[in-house]
Amino acid sequence: MLEWSRPGDRTREFEDTALVHLDTLYRSALRLTHNRAEAEDLVQETCLRAFRAFHRFNPGTNCRAWLLTILRNEFLNRLKRGGHEVLDRDRGDLERGATSITDAGRTRGHPEEELLQTVLHGDVDRALKALPLAYREVVILADLEGLSYREIAQVVDCPIGTVMSRLSRARAQLREVLGRFAREHGYVKEWE
Amino acid sequence: MNCVEFEARLHPYVDGELEMADMAAADAHLAECSGCQGRVTQERQFRHLLRRQPREAAPPELRATIQARVRRTARIAAIRPWIIGTTAAVLVVVALLPALRPTSSLVTELVSKHGTYAQIEQPAEFASADPRAVEAWFRERAGLRVTVADYSPSGIRLVGGRLAEAGNQKAAYVLYEKGHTLMSMFTVPASAPDLVLEGARVSYRGHAYVTLERTGYNTVAWSDGKAVFGLVSMLGYDALLECADRLRLERAERAGA
Repeated sequence: MLEWSRPGDRTREFEDTALVHLDTLYRSALRLTHNRAEAEDLVQETCLRAFRAFHRFNPGTNCRAWLLTILRNEFLNRLKRGGHEVLDRDRGDLERGATSITDAGRTRGHPEEELLQTVLHGDVDRALKALPLAYREVVILADLEGLSYREIAQVVDCPIGTVMSRLSRARAQLREVLGRFAREHGYVKEWE
Repeated sequence: MNCVEFEARLHPYVDGELEMADMAAADAHLAECSGCQGRVTQERQFRHLLRRQPREAAPPELRATIQARVRRTARIAAIRPWIIGTTAAVLVVVALLPALRPTSSLVTELVSKHGTYAQIEQPAEFASADPRAVEAWFRERAGLRVTVADYSPSGIRLVGGRLAEAGNQKAAYVLYEKGHTLMSMFTVPASAPDLVLEGARVSYRGHAYVTLERTGYNTVAWSDGKAVFGLVSMLGYDALLECADRLRLERAERAGA
């Protein structure tokens, strides 16, 4: 059960297979927690958990998605321990508010180039913060870390169809928020 | 495919996640619909904006810390069968310690216990974040009257209690945690005749303490005539002395009450 005769091999294998994804874990943690110290703590805990469970990891399968799944679970546990039930509450709101958000994003018709040019450094992270967690996580995974729908479905534990619909709503909402920032900066005039 | 159908597939289309047949149908629609072409351009630009975000790397110190902790965990996994394989093994180790190392002082003994407990998955025999519950457990379990201070306002969380042996007698071990750093609080009845508190003598808020660093751990120890107290942790001396002072205050308040 314990590979205690050759601890060095297991450590090296873990470093080669898992720790190569440390940057992805760190960036994702940072965007989930919005706090450097918390993100570092979360990543440390994730890596230790992963190492302890490394014998359950199937070599050749997707290690990045496996690690992100552990990170997400640990993050949700911490939220729960802190008395939050963010994800569940969000989920209800998501399905209810879904159509109006998509419609808003669509009919608004921002002059896209203008929006893109005026988004300042840090705006995207700030806008992500305004998104419900279930939206924030799919954007982080798809657009900032480049995971496939399939990988995301594994990490957030839902069907691919749900990933797809959540992603489109999340992006619409993100675009809304970024548009608002751009107007706040005064770089884009009110066009209504 | 019409515009409504295309809109429903817009995101997987742009993400390259459509099935082959759907992809062909979408391309065919796009070839003759400038409106939907505009939507695709818009989404692609937005995607580009997101992908253009700075890709920050994990701080090198974080990487180093994780590597060190992973290696330590691996080493512990290697030794663990010997340390905590059976309860009997634990008892034997504890009982032999004084015999093997007759010169070892109480503080050194506490440090080595802290080190061992820190490596066990669940070091507390009785896990609770409620100081009163932990006190009750010591009382009922071993007849030990222990004051368990509440340090939670300082972010030091109570994990639970455990019975230990120190200076050849029963000792109460209270475990706290600040983030990932453990802090042990030992209370040993002062009746043991040959307890030695070695280290540097310091004074903090008018009280005398003995501080000592052993194998990377800081310790603060003191005696109040009834018991000997020892704090062991990787936390700094400031934090440990503050904890010590607060425990003293709490004991004084209760004695007065």
